[in-house]
Amino acid sequence: MARSARPAAPDALPVSTSLPELRAALLRRARLRLLPRADGAVADLLAEAVYLERRRFAESRGGLSPEDSVERGQIEEAARAVHRGRAEQETALLGLVGAYAGQIHNTFSPRTYRFATSVLPSGLSRILTAADPGRGRGAAADGAGAGWFGGHVDPLQRVHIRGDVALLQRLARTHTLILTPTHLSNMDSPLIGYALHAAGLPPFIYGAGLNLFSNPVMAFFMSRLGAYTVDRRKRHQLYKDTLKDYSTEAIGSGHHSLFFPGGTRARSGEVEIDVKKGLLGTGLIAWQEALRAEAAGGAPARDVLVVPCALSYAMVLEAETLIEDALKESGQRRYIISDDEFSDSRSVASFTRQILALDASVIVHFGAPLDLFGNPVDEQGRSLGRGGGLLDRRAYVLDREGQLVEDAQRDRVYTEALSGALVRAWHRDNTVMETHLVAYAAWRLLVAESPRRSTWERMFLSEDERLLPRAALAEAVGRLREALDAKVAAGALRSHLPSGADPTEATLRLALDRFSRFHSQPAVAEVGGGRVRVAPRLALYYGNRLAHAGLGDVPLSAPAVGARPAESP
Amino acid sequence: MNLAILGSGQWGRSLAMLAAEAGNQPRLGYRGQPPRGFAGSPNLAALCREVELVLVAVPLEAVGEVLSQAQPGPHNRVVLATRGLQPETGLWLTDLVKERTDCLRVGALAGPAIAAEVSARRPSALVAASPYDEVAALTQKALHSPICRVYTSSDLIGVEMAGALVRVLSVAVGVAEALQLGVGVQAVIVTRGLAEGRRLGRALGADEGTFSGLAGVGELVAAGKHPEHPGVVIGRRLCGAGGVEEAVVREAAALVALAQRHKVNLPLTEAVGAIAAGRVKPRLAIDMLMRREATSE
Repeated sequence: MARSARPAAPDALPVSTSLPELRAALLRRARLRLLPRADGAVADLLAEAVYLERRRFAESRGGLSPEDSVERGQIEEAARAVHRGRAEQETALLGLVGAYAGQIHNTFSPRTYRFATSVLPSGLSRILTAADPGRGRGAAADGAGAGWFGGHVDPLQRVHIRGDVALLQRLARTHTLILTPTHLSNMDSPLIGYALHAAGLPPFIYGAGLNLFSNPVMAFFMSRLGAYTVDRRKRHQLYKDTLKDYSTEAIGSGHHSLFFPGGTRARSGEVEIDVKKGLLGTGLIAWQEALRAEAAGGAPARDVLVVPCALSYAMVLEAETLIEDALKESGQRRYIISDDEFSDSRSVASFTRQILALDASVIVHFGAPLDLFGNPVDEQGRSLGRGGGLLDRRAYVLDREGQLVEDAQRDRVYTEALSGALVRAWHRDNTVMETHLVAYAAWRLLVAESPRRSTWERMFLSEDERLLPRAALAEAVGRLREALDAKVAAGALRSHLPSGADPTEATLRLALDRFSRFHSQPAVAEVGGGRVRVAPRLALYYGNRLAHAGLGDVPLSAPAVGARPAESP
Repeated sequence: MNLAILGSGQWGRSLAMLAAEAGNQPRLGYRGQPPRGFAGSPNLAALCREVELVLVAVPLEAVGEVLSQAQPGPHNRVVLATRGLQPETGLWLTDLVKERTDCLRVGALAGPAIAAEVSARRPSALVAASPYDEVAALTQKALHSPICRVYTSSDLIGVEMAGALVRVLSVAVGVAEALQLGVGVQAVIVTRGLAEGRRLGRALGADEGTFSGLAGVGELVAAGKHPEHPGVVIGRRLCGAGGVEEAVVREAAALVALAQRHKVNLPLTEAVGAIAAGRVKPRLAIDMLMRREATSE
């Protein structure tokens, strides 16, 4: 395990901006944004907010919450300005921004943070299992030992943290960091909070979906540990702009921030290949604002760095719901899933206990930090060029006289370059685990058995068609593992697979054991008679972790004359 | 505006003339003898340090080496006035810039501006493409004048793809001319080449209309009308002396491989590759193209 020794507490905790200060800052930014807009564009902005919010309220299932009712009142008040003059429209827009400031604002509490971290490992463990307190207390009361995991498991020993943590500890003192993890599960937010503390890193602020605040205990801790609220039901530009302004304000004031650039949990289980650039771009905006302040005689601009982070789980709580959603036609997919396994408190608690009872079932890999243009940086956070020499990153935004050149369009393309570097880092740092490899092999064998069927048709294979010879699966796993090991040796990706005298059998056994523990239908299960049964949905989901690993051409068995090339998931 | 043009061949000098015509101060990066009539330097890296805009106008096979020497940095905007896809890596030339140097702001210049005609101050037109609006605008400012209209585009991939495809398709124009197949066949090459360009462009996320513009059809039509167009000359040579044209083979193969990765067919490009490799006689290649399965347009 590559976890470093935990250093002393971070030098500085992020200080929570008071709500009035924050509101004033967001209103100032909103006013600046409105200023250059034509009258028609201001009216459109307001009309879009009113239209999309009214539609949201109308489509709300199960009636409006008390908070939604308040918001509807605000929207109806704003609606009256739609057909009035520009002054009234701006007042209405700024009124909404003021209201959103209150909703988004986090209440980071150094006291709560110190409390939570001082009682670790149980502190954050409690957050993870707070959904099912009876189970935890019962376990302790039963005399199984102290703690929420039955007394046998120190969760910190289960979450493996990899990467150059010491470098990040140093850089966090001199730079503002933006942590950008892959996103698989609602467990990711608490897991990252957990990993940051375990790695001796300071707390980060992060945007958490409204649904994660539905549990009052979790909401209390999350808000005070740096989570701010993101209501993804609000689709209008004014809200998105306010969120971006919040993020810019936070980064600009030196808060380390965390975004999930994938935007939402990866439905298919694949490592993300696409990135949402809105929040990611706020790092560049904040840095340029600091450069401008520096040029005006202010303090030297604090540099901002981006840290890719690849999360790997042996098992994912919401796997069944997510892959089901991925298999729907794109138009029917849900951006926000509010009724998955994560909404069931007992499922979360049960799964958390089980996953953390498994050794090395969760790996958090902190990647090499990048500058805001996707270039690597050295030990001191200075940008490195293609030749390995130092690079003056300010030259990307300053002219030859050293004046800052503002160009939002240019910055969007820069953020695309950063996105590309992030995606490459995620794929390189993705840790392949036994469940991924065995599921990938099983899916490929299913595809080879039913070459004329579509992915969707394979979801409806008969019981008999889902059976595979265990020996064939073992051979496929062995061949894939060999190819995988070569890629790992070349630095193209990472793996955490059992070794020993018979690594293939050890991999297969471990995966079968893990698959048997949680899901209603294991992705792959031993059924006797030298056979295994494959659950196509989950095999596709877990196997997709290898979808972009370049293993599609690896033959799963000794080549036969006339054999068809296998299709990858 | 000061700008650097890397390459002092006919195309580099033509671009320098256009830049001067537009009221700018071009400096040529050269190897060997300094070009007469233009300011310049053999120190490409020093040139890049002194200017913002750098136009690359060297033969395709020299682009990698020139970039390594010039090492444009974060302050530079590098625009490729050389068309093509790097055959060894399958990279677009602007990707090569980003891979080999610290420059991120890149663009491409294409269109039916023939060096000899530009040098003779005949009217011409080009398209400057970049995802960075400022790069396209800067290039337009550098070259736009009463003798050359420069249009801007944000479709960099479309313009680079069109430039690469035209290099290969212009060989087919030369083949048709040498075999005296008539004007109709040349029109077929242009229109079916357009279809190939649109298919590949769509798969690559380019704007379908780009291939119908200056960088695609514009250049292809110019090739058909210009007896000394390099591709046309190669096409004629293949029909005459035969032999193998390695550069065309590699470029066609790189395009076909790219197209295959995106499940796109490029029959005309494949045929040119086969002719250039000496695998198929030109007349047989035409016959094979004509015997392909009937389909809708």
